[in-house]
Amino acid sequence: MKLRPVRKFRKSLLTRYVLILMIAFVFIPVLIPVSLFASWAVNLLMNPEPLWQNKRPYGTGLDIETTWHQAAAGLKGASPEAIDEKVKELKKRYPDAALYWVDTAGQTRLQLPEQEMVPKHWSLEDTIAFMKQRVDADPFTVVAFIGGDERAKQGFMVLELPRKFMVIQNEGRQSDSRFYGVFLAILLGAFVLLSYLFFSDIRKRLLRLESGMTRPGPDGLPSLIQEGRPDEIGRLELAFNHMVSELKDSRQRESEEEELRKSLISHLSHDLRTPLTVLASHLYSLRQESLSDQGRQSLTLMETKISDLSGLMDHLLSYNLLSTGRYAMSLERLDVLRLVRESAAAWYPVWEKAGITAEVELPEQPLYWNIDAQGFRRVLDNLFQNLVRHAGSGRYAGITVEPRGNTAALVISDRGPGIQAVSAAGGAGLGLQIVDLLLREMGLNRDTVSTDAGTKVCIYPSIN
Amino acid sequence: MPITNLLYIEDDPEIGEWVYANLQERGYTVTWLKSGEQAVEKAADCQLVILDVMLPGLDGFTVGGRLKQQYPELPVLMLSARTSIDDKLQGLKFADDYLTKPFHPDELAARIEVLLRRSGGSADPEPLQLKHLLVYEKENRIIDQGTNEEIVLTGKQFHIFAYLLRHLGQILTKEQIYEAVWNEPYLDGDKTLMVHIRHLREKLERDPANPEVIETIRGIGYRVRA
Repeated sequence: MKLRPVRKFRKSLLTRYVLILMIAFVFIPVLIPVSLFASWAVNLLMNPEPLWQNKRPYGTGLDIETTWHQAAAGLKGASPEAIDEKVKELKKRYPDAALYWVDTAGQTRLQLPEQEMVPKHWSLEDTIAFMKQRVDADPFTVVAFIGGDERAKQGFMVLELPRKFMVIQNEGRQSDSRFYGVFLAILLGAFVLLSYLFFSDIRKRLLRLESGMTRPGPDGLPSLIQEGRPDEIGRLELAFNHMVSELKDSRQRESEEEELRKSLISHLSHDLRTPLTVLASHLYSLRQESLSDQGRQSLTLMETKISDLSGLMDHLLSYNLLSTGRYAMSLERLDVLRLVRESAAAWYPVWEKAGITAEVELPEQPLYWNIDAQGFRRVLDNLFQNLVRHAGSGRYAGITVEPRGNTAALVISDRGPGIQAVSAAGGAGLGLQIVDLLLREMGLNRDTVSTDAGTKVCIYPSIN
Repeated sequence: MPITNLLYIEDDPEIGEWVYANLQERGYTVTWLKSGEQAVEKAADCQLVILDVMLPGLDGFTVGGRLKQQYPELPVLMLSARTSIDDKLQGLKFADDYLTKPFHPDELAARIEVLLRRSGGSADPEPLQLKHLLVYEKENRIIDQGTNEEIVLTGKQFHIFAYLLRHLGQILTKEQIYEAVWNEPYLDGDKTLMVHIRHLREKLERDPANPEVIETIRGIGYRVRA
């Protein structure tokens, strides 16, 4: 499987991040008006305006002015009674307003309602003062010449309306800036939340990936993880799963290869040992016959050689497994002395038969090393076998423990002719090589001191 | 004298003929099969099975597994040219012993006897002679020939002695004996076993200071030899 970079831009994490940034940029100019609007709406909902405020019963100032002027113009040439009637009619339309009219002689006529402040007779000063007072004042005042303009000579009519009836009152419905702040905070919070969720999701997926990588499954390999969205992390998850699959395949192939090799060695061992067994069987039969002393000696020699050959085959096949790293070590903290005693117990009859006196001086206290039990037994077997084969003439096997630096060393000694003499005779090399390979795998060292008076093998843990 | 029937499964004709003849000479009745096909049927009236691993058709491990499934008490001795530790461990999952080729027929015969004695299938009705002692294994009786009296052992003493007898001629470490008899892990420095052995010797030995029946192998363990 070949992994390609993320091509689909919309599936990229970068795209999503850019999208969030763009939303943020676009959102900030929108955010303020939206907050204002929302704030206004909430204000409206919380403080609804009274009905009369909303409706503006008399319309705007312009509406009133227009209506008033039209009414005045419509009274052109009308009699005072007709004007009174009209004023009364208008009073019905503007019940909150004060209406009156003044004839061309300056006499105040009909007042609805009667007002003390209005002069009964208007002098020129009264008129000017009145006009000055009412500019932008409360009440809102409209003065219109009856008949349309001053040329009609019919006087003027006045409407006075308190301004509270014509403007929308702002009292009690002032915009509450708290809502604006709250909305702004909510919208900013939403943006922060969106960003947090985006990064939290990335973090969660990365942690899951890390967990998958660091927690091995029952087979010692990382477990496959569930693949998520097909973005960069998704591709990483895919790549990781691909790597784990490859690793599993590789382990499987390795295991199959190991099995194949073991099987091959088993068959080889069988095929080599079967003829040896047949040979041994014939030697045994031959021994039942009457033979000369020389013949018996030859038989003994052949039997010994068959036994040696069998041992050599074992060594050869073990060496093959060890040197190719196919020997599965399972290191655990074990009492070495217990293994030594068990191994010595198995070899003791052989030593007795060979006339070897064994002196086993091991302390009662256990000696714990990290070793593979089978591997360590094999080490002891090879060393004891060498002792019998090549140092039997010394008639001595010593097994003891000696202090060595901060640790203790297992010491196996004999009184044989020494390794030089053994090497000259040949045969011990492979067994010792297997010993060294096994010891190295278990983190142990071997020191051998050999003279013509004997050999001393020390085994001790490597100091890291 | 009852006859001991052995089932011998071996495909190699030369080895097969030799072992067959040798075991017949030693007084066993041997049924020799060249494959594992009829092993389960033939094993019905046998006291022990000797089994090769590399067989035509079903291999020795499979045949042995089936035999043990059918007759759990029947001792099985694997006799194989496969010497790797993996093979031995696989074989010993069900087999009672594993002997590698080439082998000496005396060793094979000795191992057969040990297995037969352990399973109670030995043809030998004679009691076991251990120095001055006569041991009737099936009846759990020990007679001191010197005094002609029966020696009575306590439960633990009997278990220790029986375990040593089951491994006659074999040296056993104190850890092995303790764990087999007490059925729990040996604790370093525990003197319980030594105390029991001392009491056992006081009952069994003529001179407990110089034991003959239960030998001490210095630095290693104990052994009972026939």
